[in-house]
Amino acid sequence: MRYGMVIDLKRCIGCYGCQLSCKAEHGTPPGVFFARVVKRELGTYPNTQLVFLPLLCFHCTDAPCVDACPTGASHYREGGVVDVHKDMCVGCRACIQACPYGARYYNEAEGEYYPGQGLTPFEHAKYSGEDVGVVMKCNFCIGRVEQGLDPACVANCATRARTFGDLDDPQSEVSHLIRLRGGEQLQPELGTRPNVYYLPPA
Amino acid sequence: MQSAARHDRLLADLGATFRPQRHWVEGRGVLLILGHFLSGVGAGTWLFSLWLGYRPGLVLAVGAMAAAGLAHLFFLGHPERFWRMLRVRTSWIARGFVGMNLFMAGAVLTLLLPVGALRSLAAALAVAGAAIVIVYKGNVYAASKGVPFWNSPLLPVLYATYAIRGGLALLLVALPLSGGLADTRWMELIELWVAVSAAVMLGFYLGVMRDTSPAARRSVAELTGGRAALGFYLGTVGAGLVVPILVGMAGVMGALPGLALAVTGAFSLAGDFFAKYAIAKAGIYVPLMPAGRI
Repeated sequence: MRYGMVIDLKRCIGCYGCQLSCKAEHGTPPGVFFARVVKRELGTYPNTQLVFLPLLCFHCTDAPCVDACPTGASHYREGGVVDVHKDMCVGCRACIQACPYGARYYNEAEGEYYPGQGLTPFEHAKYSGEDVGVVMKCNFCIGRVEQGLDPACVANCATRARTFGDLDDPQSEVSHLIRLRGGEQLQPELGTRPNVYYLPPA
Repeated sequence: MQSAARHDRLLADLGATFRPQRHWVEGRGVLLILGHFLSGVGAGTWLFSLWLGYRPGLVLAVGAMAAAGLAHLFFLGHPERFWRMLRVRTSWIARGFVGMNLFMAGAVLTLLLPVGALRSLAAALAVAGAAIVIVYKGNVYAASKGVPFWNSPLLPVLYATYAIRGGLALLLVALPLSGGLADTRWMELIELWVAVSAAVMLGFYLGVMRDTSPAARRSVAELTGGRAALGFYLGTVGAGLVVPILVGMAGVMGALPGLALAVTGAFSLAGDFFAKYAIAKAGIYVPLMPAGRI
């Protein structure tokens, strides 16, 4: 079993649905984005192109963040999911420097979304108190996956640009899409063997 | 910085093609730079003082290493969990933590024990710890795959050179002021040699990194003409290289007063600190998208 995700750049419309659904699912503080979308306008008029790149943790098979962690807080879960034991993290941020994909965030304080107005009931409910002074990251919504659900960003993608499944299973939809459409990893030359694949936009 | 302003800057960073590294240089990140600087100086001072049999130098080395340990500790988000940093199989931070503890245990015992086999064993332990500390810092940066400017085998060599040089610089300050050594002329020569070596290595490092990747090239640009340039020119180059080399050359031509050596040592130390600060500040993460309008 090796969990992975395929993101179809032809279908992605840059609506930020993945980013928002992830925030709602995990209740992450301001400045923490387990899933995010980067946009660029390339070229010059009239030959311009708006490109989107949805990003999240790539749950690399050879994750440099796990190697850099001095305590073992960063670890591989079953299915190759890279996760953080919050109670073991010392907040040294070596994993942030090791990750070439900018997928990790250091939570300095449980910031309010409405500065000066205190935490909202949602923030109160979502903040665990264990998140301050530690590094946070995407865990493929492992709680949802264990219940047989898709990660929040997959379930809420309006254009079904995201597909989640077992990369080790040649019959799975993710394996099929990668074979059929020529799925590519981001910066494979770094040797991290990411488990998130992108399908080309054209 | 206010949380709203910090949040706005973070969003701007996340959208930028060349995202600057801030964790290990801004806010409490300065403590990490200070920790790396002091630990290198402490380890270098220990080695030279042991060689010279200069006891005040040994005490200074232990003080520098203890201060480095505290600086490291206060940088952490959860300092009370420091004892967990033992995953030495893959983590250079854990190796550095073990090295520092080996050094402190061995060094304190060396200072306390009378001359004998046990003291020699403790001194050997401290030397082993010092060697690990000298090697670990550069490797912590070199293991950072997210920052191509640091992700080079040349950086540990550069940082090791700076650690040895830092130890010598602290002794240059301490020896003339304490009257610990009558003839410091040989130290001027070593200082000159190490300063020239550091200058050559730094130039070589920047020259190589400029041609490795777009992010590393951008980092070199930040160092030589961007947000890290002030610290680099005034601290790393001016105080850390130009002054020691000029004074060293003057020392070759004729004996210098002790105060001049002490001042040179102090400049050299400042240069070592700013070398680490500027290199950390110039760090740029791997760009994930091509440059374009945002």
